[in-house]
Amino acid sequence: MILLESNNYIIQTTLAEKCIKPSSLDVQFVDFDGVRFHLSTPERKTSLLLSMSIRCWDELVKYGVDQVLQREYGHRVKAQPESEYNVSLELDLEQFPPEGEERDSLIKSISLLKRNALAAPFELAFSTQKQLSASGTGQGELLALHYRDEEAIYVQASSDRVTVIFSTIFREETDRIFGKVFLQEFVDARRLPTIQSAPQVLYSTRDAPLELSHLPGLKQTEDVGYVTFVLFPRHFANPEVAGSTISHIQNFRDYLHYHIKCSKAYMHSRMRHRVTEFQKVLNRAKTEVAVTDRKTARYVPLPPIPQHV
Amino acid sequence: MTDPLARSRNSREVLLNPLTISRNENERVLIEPSVNSIRLSIKIKQADEIERILCHKFTRFMMQRAESFIVLRRKPVKGYDISFLITNNHTDTMLKHKIVDFIIQFMEEVDKEISEMKLSLNARARVVAESYLLAFNS
Amino acid sequence: MEVNHRKIDIDQYDEDVLVESELCEPDPRDPAEVLNDTKQKAAAVRGSLSKGDIPGALTLVLENAPYGLNFEEAKNLNLQTLVTILNSTKATEIPAVVRSLSQDTQDTLMKYLYKGMALPGWGDVSGSVLLGWHEKLTEVAGTGCIVRAMTDRRIV
Repeated sequence: MILLESNNYIIQTTLAEKCIKPSSLDVQFVDFDGVRFHLSTPERKTSLLLSMSIRCWDELVKYGVDQVLQREYGHRVKAQPESEYNVSLELDLEQFPPEGEERDSLIKSISLLKRNALAAPFELAFSTQKQLSASGTGQGELLALHYRDEEAIYVQASSDRVTVIFSTIFREETDRIFGKVFLQEFVDARRLPTIQSAPQVLYSTRDAPLELSHLPGLKQTEDVGYVTFVLFPRHFANPEVAGSTISHIQNFRDYLHYHIKCSKAYMHSRMRHRVTEFQKVLNRAKTEVAVTDRKTARYVPLPPIPQHV
Repeated sequence: MTDPLARSRNSREVLLNPLTISRNENERVLIEPSVNSIRLSIKIKQADEIERILCHKFTRFMMQRAESFIVLRRKPVKGYDISFLITNNHTDTMLKHKIVDFIIQFMEEVDKEISEMKLSLNARARVVAESYLLAFNS
Repeated sequence: MEVNHRKIDIDQYDEDVLVESELCEPDPRDPAEVLNDTKQKAAAVRGSLSKGDIPGALTLVLENAPYGLNFEEAKNLNLQTLVTILNSTKATEIPAVVRSLSQDTQDTLMKYLYKGMALPGWGDVSGSVLLGWHEKLTEVAGTGCIVRAMTDRRIV
């Protein structure tokens, strides 16, 4: 698995299972970026309540998350979310379509709840870009999304492009150095002819890119990295392309860190192997203790370790 | 266990002349003999930041297992990446030429291992970046 | 009260402790005189080198080389002179040159090779040149030569 999935696997499999065999349920689980879910049957077995808590909800509301979710989930969005959560969907299994493609796609769309909520600022920026493009100049508002404790996504539309900037923290020195290797490859990869239509990628460490330089309180330490994607209108030409661009770009930070962790794990297993090999080489230097014939079971005192070889 | 005198700085009469073998400033071996032990320290080649961190991780990984490596020190001598201490006790109970084989093989393979790890990191990074960016085409 | 009493160097209060200068008989010569000598040798070496006489040049540098304390300046100058000889010798000639030296001279050469490799700054000393000489010298003079470099207190 190289690319990460946008949907939540637990929601998808649980719903598929409960459609076939409804039963009472009360589970809590988490997703990337500290997003929490609660899936329960508060009233009856066939009526599920799916609630989500997401760190940057207040920001999402400003960027029109309510309209996006209303469009995706319609009447299923509860007017009053469950307490301690930001949004709740009421899922009446009896009203689900019969088994088949239609039901699968409904379940899939519900499992994309986090993705759809986080899509709000991107959709807003894409439509702002279209307006600016008509007038030919100007810049949209910088949409900030503080989706993790110290990390954020910034989205800004201008007349000919939408700029997406990720700020990310490399907690360990190894992460920082590995991260640099990875990000350099993102920059270099665009030289390949097959990838030329991908968004342009830029990265910097410590110093924020120009677009963010006016923001107060940005950390300026070696462990902070900024990755900028420049999306051109071809990346959101129609709703389908825009949708897949959003799903894909949302995952960038987690994708990067996931692969940094994989590399570290791989290095670790390599080192373990190599060190075991070295251990074997050194063990050859250990003198063997003479083995006496052991034909019958009897008490034999251990031979003394030879002092002179 | 006999007290390895090479560890003591004060008794100059039991220490012999330290020898350095080096290819350049960044790849060197320091041999500090004494009457009953020998301390051997290696400075491993590190061409860039990546090799530096990989070397650091690798030597730390090994030094954490110092007790099973018997002749390995838990901390390197200042200015070096890894130190071994071979005492008369070790040479009495172990095969001397095999200890030498071990040290030589370690020196030969540690450079190779670090550059291979670096290559594999670069290769993975390339695949990861290309797969991600290619997905924008679809 | 001093808390770090464990870290006090008690040997400095011990009158019987052996110090560096007592480990071997000091070089009896006068440092200024030796430095002068070394400078003259350096000139003589340039003469030998221009005639292509490598063994002669090496013997000049290595015989009566300054050793021990108080001769740092002469010792370093002598190393520099030696390095110019080593650098101007063709790799294929090294075995024959090494074989022509007396055992004492071979031992002194080994000491200088290690001194060169231990230099922190390098400069005009190339590790591969020193290692090349080290390899050939060990082939001819054996590991005994290395052990003598390790044990001889007359450090060059």
